[in-house]
Amino acid sequence: MLEARGVYKVFVARGRAGRRVMTALRDVNLGVRPGEFLTLVGPSGCGKSTVLNLFAGLTAASDGAVLHDGRPIRGINIRGGYVTQDDNLLPWRTTLANAEIALELKRVPRGERRDKALAYLERVGLKGFEHHYPHELSGGMRKRVSIVRTLVDESVNVILMDEPFGPLDAQTRLVLQDELLQLWQGSGRTIVFVTHDLVEAIALSDRIAIFTRAPGTIKEIREVPIPRPRDVFHIHEAPGFADIYDPLWNDLRAEITRGPEPSVG
Amino acid sequence: MAERTRSIWIDDRVPGREAEVLRREAAGAERRERGMRTIVAAWQILLLGALLAGWWGASGRIVDRLFLSDPVSIARAFWRMVVDGSLWFHLRYTLTETLLGYVLGASSGLLAAVGTWLVPGAAPALRPLVLLAYATPKIALAPLIILWFGIGIFPKVILAATFVFFVVYLNTMAGLGTVSGGLVNVVRVMGATPAAVFRKVVLPNAMPFVVAGLRMTIPAALIGAIVAEFISSNRGVGYLINAASSRYRTADVFAGIFGLLILVIGMNAGVSALERWWLPWVPRERSPLG
Repeated sequence: MLEARGVYKVFVARGRAGRRVMTALRDVNLGVRPGEFLTLVGPSGCGKSTVLNLFAGLTAASDGAVLHDGRPIRGINIRGGYVTQDDNLLPWRTTLANAEIALELKRVPRGERRDKALAYLERVGLKGFEHHYPHELSGGMRKRVSIVRTLVDESVNVILMDEPFGPLDAQTRLVLQDELLQLWQGSGRTIVFVTHDLVEAIALSDRIAIFTRAPGTIKEIREVPIPRPRDVFHIHEAPGFADIYDPLWNDLRAEITRGPEPSVG
Repeated sequence: MAERTRSIWIDDRVPGREAEVLRREAAGAERRERGMRTIVAAWQILLLGALLAGWWGASGRIVDRLFLSDPVSIARAFWRMVVDGSLWFHLRYTLTETLLGYVLGASSGLLAAVGTWLVPGAAPALRPLVLLAYATPKIALAPLIILWFGIGIFPKVILAATFVFFVVYLNTMAGLGTVSGGLVNVVRVMGATPAAVFRKVVLPNAMPFVVAGLRMTIPAALIGAIVAEFISSNRGVGYLINAASSRYRTADVFAGIFGLLILVIGMNAGVSALERWWLPWVPRERSPLG
């Protein structure tokens, strides 16, 4: 599926005192299995989002290989879907037109793309809001549209989600986690999901990759032993929750409280 | 101990492979940046060169020299006017008009907007009047202004000011309207009086709009001054251009225009400096005018 082999990512910035370099990712090795829900967690600035950007082809690795189905990703990876923290809906398009845009860009005929978009919108309870503009929708509804517009494109076999539920309130967040699982289960699609929230990671994922603090590398990959289908609303009561939560938190806490890395400047 | 590589520092605790990647990327960034700088400089030279060469080539061949003159004659005319002091004599007059009109128009526009904003109901009450004034082509007022204020420097200043006033007024109004309720509420709960809210939050928040208005109106102020000079004047660059043009001295016309150009570029640099000084907190994208 997706694979990172010995990936380094280095950023070069021009500061007041000349050029500065910074290592964002250091020797990242990660294999995403077909059809799995993989979550990346780690402290702020550890490079989780950079990994997603590499998979999306939005940025190139400084060293190492990034592969999609065994082939190196060159340029934008249009077989991946990308859901960001902000909904990034186009303000001048209605719900339906926003949901259709990926298909429109891939020249799917009008009738077909309309049917597909409407079917997905109905699944997330947005029937009746097809002709509303983003500013007329609630935050949760906008997020649903932004997920739908990614899923609607069936040529996409991996969905990259960068803290998609970060800005939502706690209740809406749970509802959307549940909806995402429903949409994903049985779809055969792969999801790579970035979050800060360990409970969210446990509720959603098959596996969780924990990053070290910057420069980020993968510290540990843990399986989530909770069977599916899962009840996200009572996930902390699920058998095995504590068995996974405590070691995850220990991994993460060490990264949050550890002393500074050898600096690069 | 750290190792110095070109313009970057790499801590020697960084493992070898990573140091190599860092060095390679930094060198690549430097190379790309230098390449881009070279391309930009080449285009700038090419475009300016093409303009001058095209002008030179067209003049006398495609278009009568009488109408177009040519870069060399213009440079000569410009230099002659610099040496005999006539350029400075006229430029100084136009500069004075423009600056006075600009300062008058900008400060009255700013004050009027602040006044309108502070008095409840003033904005809607004034709206029809503002719309009428906005819709009036200011240039059509020029003959009237000269009729009212005579032929001295005063009507030029007034016309330049009208060109500046509305843009600054409308921009300031728009800027004052963009303040966020949250920002205001936070300082109100800290005990800010309405005056303090205005001085410490609303006005600073509007400043980028004010400065944008100031930048846009530099050439406008000059237009006001020049138009007034065209209509009635015995000095100033407008007069110089008008007089030269009626005697078919095209090179002198262009030399005058060139003088104005220097004036606008100078004023633009002035506003840029003002902006850096007033608004250090605005994240700065490079404006199309530098």
